Amino acid sequence: MKFLCVPCDTPMRMRSTAESEPGSLSVVYECPECGYEMAMLTNQHETDMVRSLGVRIGPAAAAAIANPGTVEAGEPAASRCPFSAMLGGATQTEAATPSGPEWTPGALARLESIPEMVRPMARAGIEMVARENGHQVIDEAVLADARARFGM
Amino acid sequence: MKSYSQIEGDGGSAVAEQIADLEAAIARRMAGIHHVVAVGSGKGGVGKSTLTRQLGAVLAAAGKRVGILDADLNGPSQALLGGVRNVPPLPGEEGLLVPVSRDGLKILSVGSLLAEGEALSWPSASPRHTHVWRATRELAKLAELLAAVHWGPLDVLLVDLPPGPERTAQFADFLGPQAAVVLVSIPSALARGVVARSVSALASLPNRVLGYVENMSGYACAGCGTVRPLFPESHEAAELKLPCLGRVPFDPQLAALSDEGRAITEVAGAGPVAAALAEVARNLIDTLEAP
Repeated sequence: MKFLCVPCDTPMRMRSTAESEPGSLSVVYECPECGYEMAMLTNQHETDMVRSLGVRIGPAAAAAIANPGTVEAGEPAASRCPFSAMLGGATQTEAATPSGPEWTPGALARLESIPEMVRPMARAGIEMVARENGHQVIDEAVLADARARFGM
Repeated sequence: MKSYSQIEGDGGSAVAEQIADLEAAIARRMAGIHHVVAVGSGKGGVGKSTLTRQLGAVLAAAGKRVGILDADLNGPSQALLGGVRNVPPLPGEEGLLVPVSRDGLKILSVGSLLAEGEALSWPSASPRHTHVWRATRELAKLAELLAAVHWGPLDVLLVDLPPGPERTAQFADFLGPQAAVVLVSIPSALARGVVARSVSALASLPNRVLGYVENMSGYACAGCGTVRPLFPESHEAAELKLPCLGRVPFDPQLAALSDEGRAITEVAGAGPVAAALAEVARNLIDTLEAP
């Protein structure tokens, strides 16, 4: 979908995105020529249409999808997208690990690089291996232990 | 006023680019797979998943590197059949690593992620209309997984499809024209009629339909070793105008073995079922590699 500023015949640029209310996206466009602004507000069906495509709205999120595995340490890919909770699709509740082992930024980035739907199970398996081996901190070495433990 | 194609880009949402990037990522991930074979039927309950798993075992025993993708996100069975129900996929150096069965099959199944009896939820912004976009969302999730999995080199990736003739065609289209299709039927007029519909649904696609396997083609008696008819002979069954890759008799021992997540190749002297599966595997490879 593209937006055109009719008075100046100039393509409009996305300025910001937000979840204006549950089930509705609010996407603000501006005209780089005259500064005219407009907001697109989606209804629930339109929100579902976007969700069904498995895409993110916004340039930063697009970059995260285009380059899987290049997520910066400590910054989950999904957290960059203001709609991640809405657009995540099929969900499971991530295993709560209030007293679980600590994750190093590198190991966490590795976990965050895999699809959201498999993370809870992967996290639980890795933390189980960490506990079995008496590790308080999960780093790349513990990830390697987990892979070995599960025959990968 | 400018028209759609006169405007470069889409102002920042990059939806088309994201979809193109996802497809490119899937192509990269699957580049090391020699043959993708979608195992479908159209009809449910014909033993397609068990056949897929055990065919994978027989191929692996013959020296092939085999993976199984359980494309049935809502009724996954390959994790149980492969004995990897409690084995999580894990992040590896080069992508998502999937569980490996005792006989060496790499298995990606949502069944590894869910407790027994638990189903995936598909929350919707419009709660009473989850059905509208659901099929698209399932395929989007499958695409997300495929874009992440590091299969490594494989000779054959078997894809266990969900039932439904239209779904068979939909998934063949999703997997791309390089994916071949094998259909599974049983010797009943009802099943053959549904499989014939799948053949019809696939006709408009470029995917090669290699043939069909007749499962439960008889009852393999453990006592005397003979194979007896399991279904009454029907003269009204639709003729499947496809090569038959083999006929696999029903054996309760195989069903029990499968429920335990074991491969038929683990059992010495497995009898007529093992021989039939070996024939299917041979015919499959011969057909795939025929010029």
